[in-house]
Amino acid sequence: MIFLRYYLWLVPHLLLAVTLVGAWRRGLHRYLPFFRTFGLFELLQFLTLFALSTAQVSLSVYRWALAFGSAVTMILQIGVIFELAGRLLLSRVTLSKGLRALMRWTIGGLVLVAAAASGSFAALAPNRELRVFEVVDFSSSLIQVGLLFVLLAFSRALHISWRSWPTGVAVGFGVLASIDLGTAAIRSTVGESAFIPVDITQMTAFHVSNLIWLIYAFLPERDPVPAAGGLGESDIQFWNEQLQRMAER
Amino acid sequence: MILAGIFVALSFVALLVIFYLAKGHHGTGRDLDQLARELRSVDVNAFRNLIDEREEQYLRENLPRDVFRVIQRERKLAAIEYIQCAAKNAAILIRLAEAAQSSPDPAIALAANKLLENAFRLRLYAFRVVPRLYLSMLMPGLSPVPSGLADSYDTITRQVVMLGLQYPTRGMSAAL
Repeated sequence: MIFLRYYLWLVPHLLLAVTLVGAWRRGLHRYLPFFRTFGLFELLQFLTLFALSTAQVSLSVYRWALAFGSAVTMILQIGVIFELAGRLLLSRVTLSKGLRALMRWTIGGLVLVAAAASGSFAALAPNRELRVFEVVDFSSSLIQVGLLFVLLAFSRALHISWRSWPTGVAVGFGVLASIDLGTAAIRSTVGESAFIPVDITQMTAFHVSNLIWLIYAFLPERDPVPAAGGLGESDIQFWNEQLQRMAER
Repeated sequence: MILAGIFVALSFVALLVIFYLAKGHHGTGRDLDQLARELRSVDVNAFRNLIDEREEQYLRENLPRDVFRVIQRERKLAAIEYIQCAAKNAAILIRLAEAAQSSPDPAIALAANKLLENAFRLRLYAFRVVPRLYLSMLMPGLSPVPSGLADSYDTITRQVVMLGLQYPTRGMSAAL
């Protein structure tokens, strides 16, 4: 069990480091710079927590570091989702107004639901640092799931195709956030006896997300294949006829 | 415990929905000719006629009330079919324009960008108009369709033709 827990703690971060290097080498870090920041912070947080764990500091210090790290990670993860929305949808003039309003309303609604639900969950936490951590963990998962759903549904409805890297990033966050949402609710309700199973489940989800990011960071793009070559004389004639047909309308 | 159970169920549903939605997003790398074959023809003039308020007024004045209601219902269902067809075409044109956007020729990229904007606009119109058309079948006084929709479709058809002059989109505008 100890081996599994250490494996799930170390290996996903190793995969994340490889993903960041791979994304940097392919120039993908320029497309989603917030993801790079999220990845670097996640690695920094891992190193800090690992150092605190091996230095055998008090549990309270470790938990405060975890709660603070989770809060920063939450902001960065939501930042990545907004960056995805900005790149794929908000940059389009036609869509920006409607989607901005939709995302604003979604965040407003999700914050209300998260506040109400985490209020009742947090009341069960045994101490302050755990209360902060559980509120942050649950709220961030709920907000991420909601935002990802809106983003994916909106672009699906409009038939916007995504390139490999943003798809991978979105799916990775989707796996992570949806598993965290369910497990955070279980941990808050069941209490300390659920800490280890929930921890293992969340770390497994993080492992899966990192595998997804790693695969997509190295996956070649599959652009739509344009029909053969340039325009021939017959093509130009054909299109000229089309223009004439339009003019006759 | 019930609240936790709800969120656990929600998390499973969210996971499945996110996978399902993400599956459809990834560019499929399909041949544009194959996409062109999926286009269906839309008669913009016939559609304009179906949503013309003067035409509706004329029918209202010259037909018995019951007959008018039946005919109006048929006309609105036909208009919905036209809109859905135009929206499907717009979805295909979005793929065409996305492919053309990466062209090294700035004129092609610009034309593709315009086409993309208008295709998005048309799909957004379609989402707003179809429910209004259904609603107007229940409430005949409601004006269901903004005139912009037919104009929008006309605009994107022209843009496909213009793009076709610079980029291989063969067969597409013929189908529109």
